[in-house]
Amino acid sequence: MDRPIAYDKLAREDRWVRMRAREVAELKVEQGLPPFPDLSTRDSIRERVHGILVGEMQAMEGAGRTVCDFPDAPWEFTMDMARQVWDESRHVEIYLRLLEHLGGYPGEFPETTILWRCACAEDAAARVAGVNRGLEGLACDVFNQLVHIARRIGDPILERAVEFVLADEITHVRMGSKWLTKLTEGDPERRRKAIEFQENIDERFNLGGIRQDGDHEAVSISVATDVRRMAGFTEEEIERLIKTTQRSQAY
Amino acid sequence: MGLPLTGHVSVDDSARLIRNYRYAVERAMRALGGWIALTPDVSAKLLMGRHVWDLAQHAEAFGKRLPELRAPAQVSEPANERVVAFMDALEEPETPQQTVERLVGVYRVLKPHLRASYHDYLLRANAVYEPPTRRILSRCIDDERRHIVAGETIIGHLCATPALTARALAWQRRLERLLAAAGGVTGDGLPPSPPGAGDAPMEMSDDAREFIRLEAPMASWPVPQDLRDALDSLGSSLLARNRAALARWLAAGVSPDPVCLALGAATLTSHRLVAIARLGHQRLVKWRLEGPDASVTVLGRWVPGPEGWRVVTLDVARIELPGLAEPRR
Repeated sequence: MDRPIAYDKLAREDRWVRMRAREVAELKVEQGLPPFPDLSTRDSIRERVHGILVGEMQAMEGAGRTVCDFPDAPWEFTMDMARQVWDESRHVEIYLRLLEHLGGYPGEFPETTILWRCACAEDAAARVAGVNRGLEGLACDVFNQLVHIARRIGDPILERAVEFVLADEITHVRMGSKWLTKLTEGDPERRRKAIEFQENIDERFNLGGIRQDGDHEAVSISVATDVRRMAGFTEEEIERLIKTTQRSQAY
Repeated sequence: MGLPLTGHVSVDDSARLIRNYRYAVERAMRALGGWIALTPDVSAKLLMGRHVWDLAQHAEAFGKRLPELRAPAQVSEPANERVVAFMDALEEPETPQQTVERLVGVYRVLKPHLRASYHDYLLRANAVYEPPTRRILSRCIDDERRHIVAGETIIGHLCATPALTARALAWQRRLERLLAAAGGVTGDGLPPSPPGAGDAPMEMSDDAREFIRLEAPMASWPVPQDLRDALDSLGSSLLARNRAALARWLAAGVSPDPVCLALGAATLTSHRLVAIARLGHQRLVKWRLEGPDASVTVLGRWVPGPEGWRVVTLDVARIELPGLAEPRR
């Protein structure tokens, strides 16, 4: 089996349309629309949920590749990644059903593959830093806000399901922190590169100022500081993330 | 009379069997994990995603048992080189079109054999001094039985044509021969199938029927009638490679030539819409044109305007030649 695989090997059914994230954003801006769906209407919530579904699918695929690509990594690492595959596969099912619940369908919006590309890092330490801490950290922000919005609009199905997914994501961030430390023990250069990779991802997923520190109702994606603390991010890391969101103001 | 103290395997043999099992289970777990990204079908993706964790737990349980048998923990060992060759062959199918081969290898060949082998060992493992191993085997047998039923359900769903069914059978026969040549994963021969292979209850956590339902394509997309008419017309024009009819739907400055050129001389006999995605007010539309020699995926971006819907980009996204779907021999 090829290890690792090229980005473009990611397989999809015909019902999905794949497009570069930048192109999607540019074409929406050209139409006078926000580049990223806010949570102001049921339609935009559906689009956000579709984006999350795609992210969960790529997270499942990425964790699966990590199980496959690093047979020489510590066995406990493989166990954590295998557990993550299971969690993500349940998340895919949950979001497929939530999409139905919201009146949407898989493939209703284009799929972008930024997340998958991050999951293809060649070093296991970079993968856990980028995916488990960078992307799952983003998931904590997005899901925490979605739970809040679901509660406000009176959608207990959305609220309860996403709350359970959020609990899993917190566990995945913790796994990421643990393995970033363990895999880079005695190798500060490897650790530096892995953290740099994560910070690049954080910067990228600030989405040109769309992620910010602020009230759930006031910003498109609010940084979930309490949830991030629970997941094991340090105060310094949270502060640094918030600072980077302030300097990414235009798409 | 109490339970008999007759034993059939020594401590060292037991450790060896467990390392052999762990080798097959670990490789299957890593293969399933790696295949999720290479497999287009959501039903199969979800199936694999569910079972990676179960297999990891089996490998973990076997690996933890080893130090109790005077052997190093978490070690996998193939019984012989032919077991390695069997697992290598099982891992071979990697193209998107080979989902059936991937599932057949794991769910029709390896897992039924593992279940039979675990069952065979369980029958022989002494009830007085081998309960730790017996408990592990019992749990693995239960999981494997459930996996086999779920896997068979998805294989049945994916083998939608006689050609696919024949391909699945051919692949199964090839792997079964390799497994027999290896003497099974323990090298000790192939044990008989235990009874009750097909009676495992479906669980909500890996209900294959639900995975299949979630994979079902849209019966019809929610699109306005004028766009639906335009899509039908453009699909027919693509199939006929009718440049003039195509041009009617293309925005100013968009040429039909690149797509017609890419379609080439392949015989294409039918067309169908396979995806419609919303991009703001615009639509991304995918057609699949199929024929005996090839199938071609064409992607267009439609924009509404004063003259109705028009295509602003039109590309051939993929060309597939059915012959390439065959696994390597």
